[in-house]
Amino acid sequence: MAIAEPHTPVIVSAETAQRRTAWWLTAPALGLMVLILLVPVVIAGLLSFTDYSLGNDTFNWVGAKNYDRLFSRSTYEKMFVATFIYVVTVVPVSVGLGLGAALLINSMGRIGDIYKTIYFLPVMATLLAMAIAWEFMLHPSIGMVNRTLEMSCGTILEIIPFLKNGCADRFPLWLGDKDYAIWVICFIGVWQGFGFNMVLYLAGLTGVHRELYHAAEMDGAKSGWERFRLVTWPALGPTTVFVVTISCIRAFQVFDTIEAFWPQGGGPNKSTYVMMFAIFEKGVQQNLIGIGSAITVLFLIFVMFLTLIQRWLVERKVHY
Amino acid sequence: MTRDLWKHLILILGALVVIAPFYMMVSYSFKSPGEIDRGEGGFFGRQEMMVDERCVKLRDPDREDVAAAAPRFPTQTDSQIRDALVAEAVADCQMRPIVFNYSKAFTEAPLLRYLLNGVIVTASIFLIQIVVALPAAYALAKLRFLGREAVFSLVLFCLLIPVHAIALPLYIMLAKVGLTNTYAALVVPWTISVFGIFLMRQFFMTVPDDLIDAARMDGMGEFAIVWRVMLPTAIPALLAFAIFSVVAHWNDYFWPRIVVTGNRDLFTPPLGLRAFKGDGDGSFFGPMMATATVIVTPLIVAFLVAQRRFIEGITLSGMK
Repeated sequence: MAIAEPHTPVIVSAETAQRRTAWWLTAPALGLMVLILLVPVVIAGLLSFTDYSLGNDTFNWVGAKNYDRLFSRSTYEKMFVATFIYVVTVVPVSVGLGLGAALLINSMGRIGDIYKTIYFLPVMATLLAMAIAWEFMLHPSIGMVNRTLEMSCGTILEIIPFLKNGCADRFPLWLGDKDYAIWVICFIGVWQGFGFNMVLYLAGLTGVHRELYHAAEMDGAKSGWERFRLVTWPALGPTTVFVVTISCIRAFQVFDTIEAFWPQGGGPNKSTYVMMFAIFEKGVQQNLIGIGSAITVLFLIFVMFLTLIQRWLVERKVHY
Repeated sequence: MTRDLWKHLILILGALVVIAPFYMMVSYSFKSPGEIDRGEGGFFGRQEMMVDERCVKLRDPDREDVAAAAPRFPTQTDSQIRDALVAEAVADCQMRPIVFNYSKAFTEAPLLRYLLNGVIVTASIFLIQIVVALPAAYALAKLRFLGREAVFSLVLFCLLIPVHAIALPLYIMLAKVGLTNTYAALVVPWTISVFGIFLMRQFFMTVPDDLIDAARMDGMGEFAIVWRVMLPTAIPALLAFAIFSVVAHWNDYFWPRIVVTGNRDLFTPPLGLRAFKGDGDGSFFGPMMATATVIVTPLIVAFLVAQRRFIEGITLSGMK
């Protein structure tokens, strides 16, 4: 292209040829993008205003009835609450632990790699399998968690009210208890995800220039905390924006653990009835496509909104 | 030094929590049901011979068996012969718990078939993703054509849509064309990786134009350039993307759960494990944990062997 004179007819046809090839090369991707990603979004949008179900030939337009239902029934209120609790707990905790682990590991040289490897294991492991392992760990009578807690009985640790009550009566049922279920799910979410955040932060930390620390020290930032506040945290700004966004999107999609623990109904008293599970239960299992689509649409709005915020922050090149 | 000590203390505590379910999973896969119930036997269990009750029950002698065995016990009554036969069955059905658990994992359910399905599905997804994304990425990075900006904006827009979120409309579309419960259903939604296109495009932008011009001078067509020039230069990026893709789809549970119902020949490893759990009667903890271990192990081992590459691949989405 660069070597050719722009006005000779031969070149024009070569450029036409290139244009044509370019379209041939992009056509499969373009077609699949439209068919697999865009068309379903439109379909979900349309179906959310109908009472369609699979197997029926016809359907009725029901207006915003499905959305009305989402915002008025207590089941869906529980759905929003469970999703909200999960996202609002898992995102800050897993980002915080990821950052904490990264800072500790970063400060200790080669030996820290062992911890890095260990903390990354849950990211690689099949979550469903690990959920089942956790279910055994949390088994009320033979699970490792309650057995470990029982060991504290009769020791000084009994001054902690939780252990005292547990020893006197019994330890929690965990998955069977509506007060604990959602927190157990959150805990497993953090357990699984913080290693991922840690690795991203470790990558971010390698990009922080040594000189910045020296400069900060000269300016009087003596304590570790001051150095963190003045140098590390601002330098990690872009990483944090990304880590928070991706953690949010992942947290919204929690499903495996909940389906593994409670195949029906979304946990004790629907306390873990998150959106993904609701879409699965309503739309797929109960064939209530209209309501399932309405949840899908809300879900997409949440996720897209988050990603757009992230892109906006990145474009502004936030350095807090 | 003391400061490093508390750092290690915190990190070790974290590591214990992270490893606990893995430890339990592997440990249970070694132990006999009794040891699991009573919580004894350390990590490996005592590996005492145990009797497989089901195996004994299957060989429970009936009238014909007793008659057939009569010549072997000439002087004894029928009930004595029966007892002798039962004793023989018990002797034959003895095995070490570890053998029991792992053999049950493979015989109670077609675990090998599940693993094979997992390989088929993940491999097809990755190959199709590359075949679709690579040419598109090349065209977007290196060819000039009308509408390139529009196509690229579309790619950026589609990055906003998580495939899991639009699972319901995708499921309806597949059901409408009668593709549920097929390999195609497991693969189709993932054939387009917008992220792959984006990633490869960014990578190809860094490939010098001279390389491509030289190939054109040699008379190569654009298609040949994609596969014979661009593909080899992109191997490192492709490898990272391969790890990203394979890990995601080997571990995926949500999508297979939706499109594969009932037909066990199509189960992926997580679905198989889920079915195993559903069938289990509670005393099958050992074999179930053996199944979980078998499913989780390939990726964990691969990760431990090629750690750097895996971390690179999994955190790919974090690179700008």
